[in-house]
Formats: sequence, structure tokens, C-alpha cells
Amino acid sequence: MRRVGASRELTEWVLRAARGEEPAFSELYRRSRPLVARLLAGFAPLDADEVEDVIQETYVRAFKALPRLKEPAAFEAWLLSIARNRARTRLERKSQARRLDEEISDPQPESTPLLPEALQLERDMAVVRQLIDELPEGEEKKTVHLFYVEGQLSAREIAEKLGVGKSAVTMRLERFRARIKQELLRRVLAGRWE
Amino acid sequence: MRHLDAEALRALSAGEREEVAYFREHLARPCEECMDFLARTPGPGLLDGQVDELLLHLAPPREEPRLDEVGLARIRRALRGRAASPWRKVAATVALAAGLAGLVLLTQSQLRSPRQEVAWDGVKGDGLKGVGRLSLELSVVAHGPGEALRRLDPGAAASEADVLVLRYHATEAGEALLFQQRGNASPELLGRFPLQAGTHELEGPQGLVGVSLEGESGPLTLWLVGFPSGQVPTPDEVREALTRGHLEEREQLSIERFDLRVHNRQNPRPR
Repeated sequence: MRRVGASRELTEWVLRAARGEEPAFSELYRRSRPLVARLLAGFAPLDADEVEDVIQETYVRAFKALPRLKEPAAFEAWLLSIARNRARTRLERKSQARRLDEEISDPQPESTPLLPEALQLERDMAVVRQLIDELPEGEEKKTVHLFYVEGQLSAREIAEKLGVGKSAVTMRLERFRARIKQELLRRVLAGRWE
Repeated sequence: MRHLDAEALRALSAGEREEVAYFREHLARPCEECMDFLARTPGPGLLDGQVDELLLHLAPPREEPRLDEVGLARIRRALRGRAASPWRKVAATVALAAGLAGLVLLTQSQLRSPRQEVAWDGVKGDGLKGVGRLSLELSVVAHGPGEALRRLDPGAAASEADVLVLRYHATEAGEALLFQQRGNASPELLGRFPLQAGTHELEGPQGLVGVSLEGESGPLTLWLVGFPSGQVPTPDEVREALTRGHLEEREQLSIERFDLRVHNRQNPRPR
């Protein structure tokens, strides 16, 4: 689980990078890369080369736009949004669902987070854990537990372990994630937007 | 019953009270249609990132991450407008492996050529060797479009359409950092690779390594810096050493330099 102190340190490095301090970019990369790589490990159809390319593209975009990031504390969420969009664009181009000159646009660095950072983190995590507990026993719950709670195996490795297709694992993870997204949106509507 | 769509999301983002009230109630229970829409649609705002952040932090933290120097070097390179991607270059040259088989003898004989072996004295030059336990030698072959592999001599001309394949001889297993240096610019890290004892092509985790010269022009130097496993210097230390020649305390390093000149349409090869 994320430490609030670690989050504050990350924000400090974001501020230093935004001031153009070169070592801060290295530090941001060192600290955040494992999370970006973990996100991409959920996209089973991407091979190792493609994952590396998406990581590179994500950081190039993020570092270029970093000085315009309005909420330094939202760096991680912003970075993960970019990584997700880059991965989805890559996958859709791979399946020819999207033209080469089309791409999913990244959130603007001026965007502000919908959920208050840190303040509700513990509560949000408790909600997510509860939603996982409430999933009916079966393959989806097993997949979610292996990927998000244990956090060791990639979607490809989970597919191998469970003896299912890799796309099936990604679909299960995406379905659960959509459930969490719906819940967080509802919580935003119940609070901040009213 | 209404479900989330682009218009509803816009209204919610604008804080329209009726929409907020309706969807607050509607989303209180799982809705397949709304979930499907949310899964397909990025945003609003940073919500996707916040969802992922929350989910990915559920797992226990791993040990303090090490800096992925190679990945960072790729990003720095791309930020400087050099979009070339070393791992893509690797993939592009895997197909050369079969063709290389015929070249092994040629390059081996080149490796055995009487090049002067001297200890690193801090001055750059061809054939510099480390005095550590691992000794390294390097030869380079080029592959252009539609042509056979050809061995390059140090200082040779190459085309920007060429892909270079590196062949090394190491006296023992270890690791190596590969740098590329344009003119007098600072050396750029291209990758970190395992070394095997004997004569081999340089390989990375994805297979045979090839260095694409696409987009290059003018003098270019490749540096292959070998070191025994377990005595890993940081790329910054090595880069600093290559730049300033301060390697007196780095005797375990073995340094191979290969110079070439890259020609392109703007900078054609002299006839």
C-alpha cells in the first residue's frame, strides 16, 4: 500500500523537475517506473518490446509537459493516465481498430484530480478491498486477486497459471477496473460535484 | 433509463445538478452499460489515472526500485529529438543472425589481428584495452538494405541506412555497457548487455543487438565497456570516464572504441 510520505517525496521531486533540475527527472523515473510497468503488465497482448516502447513514449510525453502540470501531487495519476492511453492506442492500432494518425488524447497537464489526493486514500482503498471481497468466488476474483492484491504476476503469467487465454485475463481486469471506476465516479458525484 | 455517454459526462463535468443527482443514484448499483462506457472512454479528467493508482497500490510495496539506466537513456535520447528506439533496432536485426554465420570466420580473424594491446591510459584511441581481469575486443559488421554483411574497419565510412552488428571477444563472462558518441558530444548509453567468454555477437534480452545509423551523420564512435559481473559501475561513472579519461581507479573496466563516419544525402560519401 502506498505510503503518504512517499507520495509527498514524489511531489517534491515533481516540483524540482518542473524547475528544470535534471536529476529530478531521473528520480521521478526511478520512483514511478515500476508502477507504470505494473500497469502495462495488465495489457497482456503487448509484448516486452511494445511495453518498453509504451514506457518510453509515456515518459517523453510526461517530461515534456511536466512544467505545465497544474497539480504536482497528481503526477502519478496523470502519468498513469498517459501510460494507459498510450497502451490503448498501441493495442487499437495493432488490431487496426484505429488509424495510424489517430490516437487517444492524453489528459491535459492543467487537469485537476477529481478525487482529493491522500485525504480519502485509505477509505478508497478500503472500498476497493471490500469490492474485491464481494466478488463471487471464481475466475474473475482469482485474477483480480493475483494481479492487484498480490501484485507479482503479469497478465500473461496469470493466463499461463490459470490456463486461459491472455486476452481473457486482460478483459477480466478491465471489467473489474470499470467497476471501480464507476464506484469512484459515484463517490465524486456524491461529494465534490455537489 | 439513461446511461452514461459522452453528453452525460460533459454535463457531469460541468456540474449540472440534475445530471449529478440522477447519476449519483443510478451508479449506486453496478450498471453494465455504464461500466462498458467507462471502460471504453478515457477520463473524465484524471479519473483513469486515479483508479489505476488506487488499484496498483493495493499490493505490498516492493523493494526500493533501482534506476533503469538504459530506459532513462532511451527517454533522454528521445527528448533530444532522436526518436530511434534501440529495442526496435534489436528486433530489426534479429533476422540477420543467419547471415552472420558466414561472417564468423572473417570477424574472428579480424579479432585475432595484431592490434596493439595497451592498458587504458586515459587517452582515447583505437584498440584501448583495460588491464582488469576481463579483456575485451570488438569488431563491427554493417548490413545495408539489399546488400550482404560487410566488415567495417575502424574509421570506415558507413551509410545512415546501415545497421551495425557488434561482435566481441571476451576472456571471461561479464557485462558490458554500449555507448554511442556523436563527434565531441557526451556519450549516450545504448544499453547494458551480458558478455560470455569467447567470441560472440552482442546480444540483449530480446536477441541480437543491432545499432541503426538512421538519422546519424558525421563522426560517430561506439564504446563497448566491459566489466566482470559483480563489479558494475554506473553508466554515469563510465560516461564521465569516457569523457574525461579518468579511469585510473577503474582498472577492472575493459574499453573498446570503434570510430566510423556516417554519410547521408546531405553528407554524401566522397567519391
